[in-house]
Amino acid sequence: MVTVSELNVPHMPQWCPGCGDFGILISLKGAIAKLGLNPHEVVVVSGIGCSGKLPHYIKTYGYEGIHGRALPAATGIHLANHKLTTIVVGGDGDGYGIGMGHFIHTMRRNFDMTYIVHDNEIYGLTTGQTSPTTKKGVKTKSTPFGSIDTEVNPPLLALAAGATFVARGFSGDIPHLTELIAKGIAHRGIAFIDVFQPCVTYRKDLPYELYQKKIYKLEAEGHNPSDWEAALKKARETDRWPIGVFYQEQKPIYTDEIPFISESPLAKHDISKIDISKFVEEFF
Amino acid sequence: MAVINRVNFKIGGPAGSGVATVGLLFAKCLQRAGLNVFGTNDYPSLIKGGHNTYMVAASPEPVYSIVDGFDILIALDQLTASLHSHELTHKGALIYDSDKVKGGWPTDRPDIMCIGAPLTQMAAQAGGEIMFNTVALGASMGIMQLDFQILEGMMRKIWARKGEAVVQANIAAAKAGYDFSKEALREPFKVKIEFVKREKTMFINGNEASVLGAVRAGCKFVAEYPMSPSSAILHLMAGHEREYGIIVKQTEDEIAAANMIAGAAFAGVRAMTATSGGGFSLMVEALGNMGIAEIPCVIFESQRAGPSTGLPTYTEQADLQFVLHASQGEFPRVVIAPGDPQECYIEAINAFNIAELVQTPVIVLLDKFLSESSMTIEDVRRIPVQIDRGKLLSDEQMAAASGFKRYAITEDGISPRCLPGQRNGIHVCSSYEHDETGFTSEAPDVRVAMINKRARKLAAIPQPIIAPSFAGASEEEAQILLVCWGSTKMPMLEALKLLGRSGIKARMMHIRYASPFPARAVLSALMKAKNTLIFEGNSEAQMRSLILQKTGYYIEKTCLRYDGRPFTPEEICEAAKKAIERKMI
Repeated sequence: MVTVSELNVPHMPQWCPGCGDFGILISLKGAIAKLGLNPHEVVVVSGIGCSGKLPHYIKTYGYEGIHGRALPAATGIHLANHKLTTIVVGGDGDGYGIGMGHFIHTMRRNFDMTYIVHDNEIYGLTTGQTSPTTKKGVKTKSTPFGSIDTEVNPPLLALAAGATFVARGFSGDIPHLTELIAKGIAHRGIAFIDVFQPCVTYRKDLPYELYQKKIYKLEAEGHNPSDWEAALKKARETDRWPIGVFYQEQKPIYTDEIPFISESPLAKHDISKIDISKFVEEFF
Repeated sequence: MAVINRVNFKIGGPAGSGVATVGLLFAKCLQRAGLNVFGTNDYPSLIKGGHNTYMVAASPEPVYSIVDGFDILIALDQLTASLHSHELTHKGALIYDSDKVKGGWPTDRPDIMCIGAPLTQMAAQAGGEIMFNTVALGASMGIMQLDFQILEGMMRKIWARKGEAVVQANIAAAKAGYDFSKEALREPFKVKIEFVKREKTMFINGNEASVLGAVRAGCKFVAEYPMSPSSAILHLMAGHEREYGIIVKQTEDEIAAANMIAGAAFAGVRAMTATSGGGFSLMVEALGNMGIAEIPCVIFESQRAGPSTGLPTYTEQADLQFVLHASQGEFPRVVIAPGDPQECYIEAINAFNIAELVQTPVIVLLDKFLSESSMTIEDVRRIPVQIDRGKLLSDEQMAAASGFKRYAITEDGISPRCLPGQRNGIHVCSSYEHDETGFTSEAPDVRVAMINKRARKLAAIPQPIIAPSFAGASEEEAQILLVCWGSTKMPMLEALKLLGRSGIKARMMHIRYASPFPARAVLSALMKAKNTLIFEGNSEAQMRSLILQKTGYYIEKTCLRYDGRPFTPEEICEAAKKAIERKMI
């Protein structure tokens, strides 16, 4: 059993004061403590970006890979040792831009992992360019006359790809987000959580106050998360912004279908004396 | 007098007609007769149609390439008869499907035995037209008077999984062809196969031997995206997934494959991917990640003729400098280029051990010719194997650890490694430059210390492993040193035999390790040579550049081939002779 303070590290996060990333970090620590996980049995995986720094700010094992590739790296970790709790964090550029291919394919594979996207609708670390979730018409450094592209809809994509847990949180509502992440980690299968994360430096037009005004909680309005069609409708709402669980279903997970790891994870298999006799005989 | 147990064979036909199957079965029959066999193919990038060939050389001695013409040619179509009949040796046999081939062989070669057989009709009678290639196989064995029991045994083994009816039909088809060609001969064929009793050998190609080595080495995770000529590695691994407990994942692209194996290796399993140059291009960024984060991974790169799509089903050795320098920044990497299937097996095992020993990516450089050329080798179980996981710490060691630093600066540059799930080892495995704990650091002194630490690691690889190999005449008596690397070893070994027969004393130096480079051994051999010629399957003499860079020695004479085809022993022999003549003038 671990407490939130035991997950703290001795250095301060290098995020802008007021950044929405703090709320996600606190909520993630809270969820791990709430679930009573052992820190050495948790791996937090990231790509590159402001969000990519998160593994350094939590006392669990961490893997900070390259931009857009957190999901394949996490897949490798998860398949090598599926007894670990694998949690992936990334930004909207990382996950929906450069890493979009991996996003769709990971959603359809139903690994028992959690994927949290810090969605601030901007490229922060590269100082303010348009992102895949930047809404059409928004002016950024790379779209000074307004973005022409239509923005992507992450929950809708995840639903279409076959994800078995699709949710959205808000980094300004830490108790709600903590609960949501805990639910995601506890979900047996791929859990996808898109998080509204205000960027106080490059999206001053999208402040906490606006999110607070627009968002509402799905559970408060009686949304049934086992209804996929209803989830699709909710994911398409644009005038009000729903947070909470859009959809959840139970399905066999990927590793259930790999019989030889049912007893012990791959990383624990003895490789010191592998007998290749039968294989050799195929070439006689 | 018949030639005993020495034969060259070629079969040609459109893609999808079973050319490779018949070629392989022909080779396997002669392997089972106790001969040494070499088999290789040539085909364009399409599924049906086109023109495919498979070639086999068999001999009482080890064979590494095809030398001279063919004694038997099977033409499944008109094109094969027209294109290849002139390659037949004196009194060679042309076996063709008389329903499909109506002529086309050279009129100035009355010595050729033309055996027109209604292959398709005979197959239909035996149980199905689809077995016309089995009839052809039987016909080729019939003229060589191979003991039919060997062919029958082969049919039983190959078709066992399809049931007894299929086995029987194929035996009948083979027998029909066998009897037909025996009777069609107007005089005994010049080659006769006599059974030789010996220990069982393996008939295996570079891809298969690499897989076998990887499995033996304890590879537990394979992530791969299909790309010729490496896809067979994915197929073979997938087929053995459950038997050997290996997770095999076909990924959405090569970027995913490279990052998946990095994650899997970080979490503690031996992991690999396989690809060709195009796919490797996509893996390049992940390669640097493995380098800076010190993740042990193995990447098989089977070269094909580039750049870009190039000649997708043809061979080349033009990715050497690419894999040596791929990815930004500087980090140690190991690059191994085995020369034949047996070396593929050995180096696959070395690759996994070295990856964990020095905690860095290892690239095994194959090429289409090596990947898809098969030869008989001794049972690999006789080769002693050690599994060495380097400085990987056990659960017990970690339970007692305190103040663990994943990237501790050590004398040999290699830091003790722990795995997620182990107590007291929490750290971040990071693509950023980092301090000894793994925490991001951009401090100049940390940066220099880490670059230096990583650079020291390759020295831990034992010198005997990376040493070049030699064959042919001794250093003292050799008139010429023939330098090669990778798969060029195979035609080179045959060329040495040809040169020996011409009274020329030639010595081969085969370089397997491009990184770390065996500079001293290579330089010593070059300094002592009276005359030197380097052979490479590329247009820029990339190994020559590497030798110059690492030893300061410039090899003046090159023989380069970059038409997508492997070297032939004959052209190596001719080039060596010319180089010796020039030296004498």
